[in-house]
Amino acid sequence: MRQLKIGTSWVRGVIGDAFTPELAIQFACAFGTYCDGGSVVLGRDTRRSSPMLHAAVQSALISTGCRVIDLGVCTTPLVSHAARRHGAAGGISITGSHNDAEWNALKFLGPTGSLLNAANSEELLDIYHASAYSFSGWDGLQRTVLDDGAAESYVDDLVHDLAADAITARRYRVAVDFSNGAAHEVCGRFMKRLGCELVPLNERPARRFSHAPAPQVENMRQLEAVLPYVKADVGAAINVDGDRAGFVTHDGRALSEEVALPLVAAHVLARRPGLVVTNLSTSRMVDAVAARHGSTVLRAEVGEGYVMDRAALEGAVVCGEGCGGVALTPQSATFDALQTLGRVLEAMALSGATLADLHSSLPALAMRKSELACSPDRVYRVIEAVRDEFDDAEVNEADGVRLAWHDRWLHVRASNTEPIVRIIAEAPDKAGLEELFSRADTAARRGASGFGRTEHGAVGQAVRSGKP
Amino acid sequence: MRKPLALKIGISGVRGVVGQALTPQLISSFAAAFGSHIGRGRVLVGTDSRPSRDMVRHATISGLLSVGCQPVDLGILPVPALQLHIRTIGAFGGVCVTASHNPIEWNALKFFGADGILLRPAQAEELTDLYHQGVFPRIAGPDIPEVLFDDTAIESHLQSVLASVDADLIRSRRLHVAVDCCNGAASRATPQFLERLGCRVTAIHTDPDQPFPHNPEPIPANLGDLCRTVRDTGADVGFAQDADADRVAVVNERGEPIGEEAGLALAVLRRLEVEPSPVVVNMSTSRMVDDVAALHGCIVHRAKVGEVNVVEKMLAVGAPIGGEGNGGIISLRTNACRDSFVGMAILLEALAARGCSLSAFRSEVPTYSFLKEKITFPAREVATALRRFRERYSGQEMDLSDGVKVTWPDRWVQARSSNTEPIIRVLAEAPTDPEARQMVDEAFAALSG
Repeated sequence: MRQLKIGTSWVRGVIGDAFTPELAIQFACAFGTYCDGGSVVLGRDTRRSSPMLHAAVQSALISTGCRVIDLGVCTTPLVSHAARRHGAAGGISITGSHNDAEWNALKFLGPTGSLLNAANSEELLDIYHASAYSFSGWDGLQRTVLDDGAAESYVDDLVHDLAADAITARRYRVAVDFSNGAAHEVCGRFMKRLGCELVPLNERPARRFSHAPAPQVENMRQLEAVLPYVKADVGAAINVDGDRAGFVTHDGRALSEEVALPLVAAHVLARRPGLVVTNLSTSRMVDAVAARHGSTVLRAEVGEGYVMDRAALEGAVVCGEGCGGVALTPQSATFDALQTLGRVLEAMALSGATLADLHSSLPALAMRKSELACSPDRVYRVIEAVRDEFDDAEVNEADGVRLAWHDRWLHVRASNTEPIVRIIAEAPDKAGLEELFSRADTAARRGASGFGRTEHGAVGQAVRSGKP
Repeated sequence: MRKPLALKIGISGVRGVVGQALTPQLISSFAAAFGSHIGRGRVLVGTDSRPSRDMVRHATISGLLSVGCQPVDLGILPVPALQLHIRTIGAFGGVCVTASHNPIEWNALKFFGADGILLRPAQAEELTDLYHQGVFPRIAGPDIPEVLFDDTAIESHLQSVLASVDADLIRSRRLHVAVDCCNGAASRATPQFLERLGCRVTAIHTDPDQPFPHNPEPIPANLGDLCRTVRDTGADVGFAQDADADRVAVVNERGEPIGEEAGLALAVLRRLEVEPSPVVVNMSTSRMVDDVAALHGCIVHRAKVGEVNVVEKMLAVGAPIGGEGNGGIISLRTNACRDSFVGMAILLEALAARGCSLSAFRSEVPTYSFLKEKITFPAREVATALRRFRERYSGQEMDLSDGVKVTWPDRWVQARSSNTEPIIRVLAEAPTDPEARQMVDEAFAALSG
């Protein structure tokens, strides 16, 4: 099966298979046309395929008369910041983000520095599908500009918005696992400005990543092992393009990636109550945190583009997703791991608490995330099967199906990035979770197996009749 | 008549107008096809100075990387320096981003094999087939090689050229040389090259970041600035290079172009007086070369038009010197391609050895009237036109190996389709201007029907 996904604000694929330089060129030509020959900020991650896409994209942007502002290796939040600072027409971050080393992607950012929203993405796709590129003649081609000051200016803004003196006074030692990604250089500057000592792990680019680059508990084993040994106050795992963060306590306990949002929200809302935006699959921990401060939580479809767009629209204070991506709005226009790390350090510094203390003040809920391999043609059978399994829940079908009860919920949806169905369930305790999860899982497998499948595809019917 | 297409894919590579047919996607695919053709090794990538160079270079690098080649980025450099460097570092091949003498809105890719020679017609055909198949053996993301950078190619090329002539003899004469680099790929290299030959150098148009000051084809019509400079500064000789510095035109001490055909004839004369040998030129090159060779009792072989055809024939017949009448001088002692640096070095050596003026040197070779004209023809009508031309001259001595060339004892006329543009070129050489003009007029009439 060919591995290519075109989503809101990005195109993502397996390099050498479906994702070729020509495809990147076509998309970048569409984006250059969409930007109408303005300035476009360009950055890339450390993947081996990123220089290839960087060359392809740069060529395409130049050909459409855009002036490329090149940041070289950098994080997505840095591209976003530079796009705003330069008043650029847009930005492209070349990064497979949390995906494996075989993958790569182009993330498209608008003039506000945020990922293109659904409406803008559609416009971009229309240009792409029509191949309606407007190429510039030789005399309209612009030379690429290098921006060496981008990281410093970005770190300036991060630091100015933090209680930097309080953090500096604590002289924290911070161990960061960079997942062989792009954040090392800029994080080094950031930590220096906050008077922190950085203990870097996996800070160099690698052909294959040392571990899967998503900041999940199972990918933070190295940090867990190293933290007590190097006597760090906090450990953080940052994904390849620096938009997501996961955390490890000083005694070497990795926290779920779900913790980042409620952790930051608890700290931010205490000082500035306001709206929180998250997605349908994110833990209810953040609801409890918001309730303590009299704040509300809005849930958007899954995906940074949807969440950030909604946050901007509704004037939220903080937003994020259970994957570890968090943003303070309007300070950041994308999820930002350094912003997240800075807020956690600020929360620790101002309260004198350890990360373990901060974590223990969050409500304890039991959550399980699971994946089920599923070909795209079976996805809706799976979703229907789970929906029909339960008849007493509040149903939300904005993105897959989300079933909610007063103290538990279940979300089944197709992945945006891989041929799998995700099943996420949360309940007050382990026993309740297992009961909820196993019922959903059984129903989902029934849907995926194609039980009762006919030549003519009357599949939904057959699955329903197979209901116990 | 239908508007000619702004794209040409042929044995010289792929060439097109920027902003129209020459898109990044086309370039990337062609580079991927070339990478598939020559294999997963190092491939040198250089450019001339055109404003579209970065757009084309980046697309080329992306295509090469996608099939597992390791691009070595040489930056802006003369194409002969790139070709020589392929052999110097043992690369699998090279790509030069240059439309050579074409106007500034054009750009192109020229492809070279591991021997530093342009792809042979059969290889170029295979490349085109690979491109048209459109399916390339891409490699997985984690296996993509790193791009390398190398800025030693220009220096190593200059040293090779300096070592191929009697540099001390040239230095002893302290010649005053004016040069027009056309803001092209040789803008930095040529002035220092001439200085290292002990010349007093007056260089014009040496900023590669500026657009071409005039059409870059080194023909008399484009030599106005150089001729003025020679007259104003009293230089002994003037040289003009095209954008990628493979061709050179020569201006005498009175500020008059000697004609691009004469440059080759004089260079051949110098090489033969040092070392008699067979000579290879193309079908459209002036008879001056035959006269020069006869002087030294040497044989002239004729090849089809196109650098690669001449080089191939030179290798086949063991001719160390040859070239094309359009100012392309080839000396296999240094480089298996047209090389303006080689041309300048040989001509300066000849002047130094003689101790005479360039016009005196020029008078050693007889003069003919040589007309080069062109007429625009859509590709599909070319064959019919050439057939009419052939029928018009039936019964005469005729060579059909490249278009149609008709020869009389003291004159000839040739009609051939261009490899690079949608035109038919008509060339005629005769003892006097009116005779040559009359042959061209007849040819045009025959072609148009």
